[in-house]
Amino acid sequence: MPCIVALIVFGIMGIFSASHRALAKEAFSCVFRRLTLRPCNTGFQEKIKGKILSKLIKRSTFLTKVVNKHYEILSWIFFILMIGSTAWVLRGGYNFYVFGSCNGLNASGFCAFDPSGENNKVTGVNTNGACPIVPATEQNVTLKNVDLSNFPTQNVGSKDNVVFIGCYACEYSRKAYPDILKLIKNKKANFVFAHYPAKGNTTVLAETGYCVNKFYGDKFWDFNDYLFKTDVNYVLDPANIDAILANFNFDVKKIDECANSKETKTIIENQVKELNKTNIYGTPTIFINEKAFVGPKPYRVYRSAINKFIFF
Amino acid sequence: MKDLNKIREDFKVLNGDKIVYFDNACMSLKPNQVVEAMNDYYYNFSACAGRSSHKLGDKVTKKVKESRKIITDFINAKSENEIIFTRNTTEGINLLANSFDFKKGDIVLITDKEHNSNLVPWLVLRDKIGIEVRICKSKEDNTFDLEKFSELVKGVKLVSIVHTSNLDGITNPAEEIIKIAHKNNALVFLDCAQSIAHRKIDVKKMDVDFMAFSGHKMLGPTGTGIFYGKQKLLENLKPFLVGGDTVEFTTYDNYKMLPLPEKFEAGLQDYAGIIGLGEAVKYLKNIGFDNIQKREFEINKYITEELSKFQNIKIIGPKDASLRSGIIDFYIDGVDMHQFAIMLDNMANICIRSGQHCVHSWFENRKIKNSARISVYFYNTMQEAEKFVENLTKIMKII
Repeated sequence: MPCIVALIVFGIMGIFSASHRALAKEAFSCVFRRLTLRPCNTGFQEKIKGKILSKLIKRSTFLTKVVNKHYEILSWIFFILMIGSTAWVLRGGYNFYVFGSCNGLNASGFCAFDPSGENNKVTGVNTNGACPIVPATEQNVTLKNVDLSNFPTQNVGSKDNVVFIGCYACEYSRKAYPDILKLIKNKKANFVFAHYPAKGNTTVLAETGYCVNKFYGDKFWDFNDYLFKTDVNYVLDPANIDAILANFNFDVKKIDECANSKETKTIIENQVKELNKTNIYGTPTIFINEKAFVGPKPYRVYRSAINKFIFF
Repeated sequence: MKDLNKIREDFKVLNGDKIVYFDNACMSLKPNQVVEAMNDYYYNFSACAGRSSHKLGDKVTKKVKESRKIITDFINAKSENEIIFTRNTTEGINLLANSFDFKKGDIVLITDKEHNSNLVPWLVLRDKIGIEVRICKSKEDNTFDLEKFSELVKGVKLVSIVHTSNLDGITNPAEEIIKIAHKNNALVFLDCAQSIAHRKIDVKKMDVDFMAFSGHKMLGPTGTGIFYGKQKLLENLKPFLVGGDTVEFTTYDNYKMLPLPEKFEAGLQDYAGIIGLGEAVKYLKNIGFDNIQKREFEINKYITEELSKFQNIKIIGPKDASLRSGIIDFYIDGVDMHQFAIMLDNMANICIRSGQHCVHSWFENRKIKNSARISVYFYNTMQEAEKFVENLTKIMKII
């Protein structure tokens, strides 16, 4: 058993060190002999045991005696622990690849590959616009019984569905938006954009956007892209809205009247009420074929989801 | 004998007392004088001996001749023609096994604790031409059984036995063995690999027919050795390694072999090694075998006494340290002695040998897994022995 442990440990260390590579070879020879039902007479086990005991004996005779006596059992324990931790690491690696977090979808525990938790940061809903890492409650986040018919939509009829719930003022929504655009462009998925006013006074932009979509259809997407790409302070200043609309050659007066109408305000309020049914706890929340991704994930995460690369 | 500290200064690896070297039965350390003699060859006259007629060639020829003379005197051979340079003892034994006119049914008598080098060549010959390999078993305490030998030697063509065993340090009574063998018309080959560095070997006095030893156990360079044979016997041997340097002339269909010793020294020789070996012999002579044995016995006795305090330690061979040269070979039932040796090395830089010491047959026969062997030499000190005992005691506490 010790030689199996040694083979794995030295095999990994051997990637970086030639001296450990030689030990890995010795361990392999030992394992091979055992697998072919021959005794391991290479002296490798004794060498490793001798080295361990000679280190221990300098600290504690009692401990050395225990290790010497129960070496085989201890090796088994280490082997099981190693298999467990290896499986745990593999699981973490898989999770990081497909969910952007070692701990699983939207889970915010420590991840060595993303130590600052960037992939899980959201603008919290009902947190006065702060952008904390919110404890995962994504199990409840769902699109069931949520009516998205009033939100801007493109690529209708596609087999894949992407719903982006974000806020113009939130940096994490702004970070995720370009990746979602790239995904939509590559996969031609059915894309629904839903604005959720999580931070700052963005309702006016939502109202304006609604009216742009109402009167100009697909031109809404250029307008929407502009709002996410342009400096946030500029787009959030109500004094600049008319200039932005004019820049797109929209009928400014018509859009303003529409945006300020009671009907529009009611629709936008209803949209927010509808979005609250998703149990959203932060933006951005992106649904890809019903699976909710909360926080700005790396592009590969979205791609894996749409390619159905997620097995577990 | 020089002061011990002065002697130790000649061995670079011992300077600073970092290493305790107790693996002399495998390989002795090399004094600076030997290394310098070899370097001198490589730096100043690294040419061919014998064949090149220029200053450097002449110098190599002279130096090789000097070494051969030194070795001839060292073992008290009759003539330099009886000294054949080889790579080691193993090559010497193979030379004999393959050059001697063995026929099917001839008997070779060996002991039960021969080094693989004095076992395998005979077993191969048994399989090849059908000789019989007869084994003379040792007594209970591993010493030589002369009585049994006297019975077994009848009808034997060659007795091939170890002089001092690398297993337990016991020196076989060579002179008696040879007398008995000769009475029974058997020739005797003596494996002196282990004895040559620790006791005076006088081939004339012993009347031994063939003998071989290695340079590396007697302060000399690795890859050097000597095969000795009585001149008349050597002349009758047919060399098995032939080619360059072994012939006087050749035609496309004929050749004439050179006389002794060249006819056995095929190909370009290890001149630096041969010169170094000569230097090693000079160094050994200066130290003196009496001094060597005195130091070895002193240390062996102390370690033997200390080991005897542990009931589970079993010493291979007789309890009397004076019968075991500089070797203390021991084992503990149920303990892998490799681990023991590795621990000593890692804990205190003490180098000892563990395993079956190339005498697998003996261990297999007695169902002993392996042993730890301490082999001391004249440059070892009592302080080193005490350090060994101190660390051994620590290890014994965890077993």
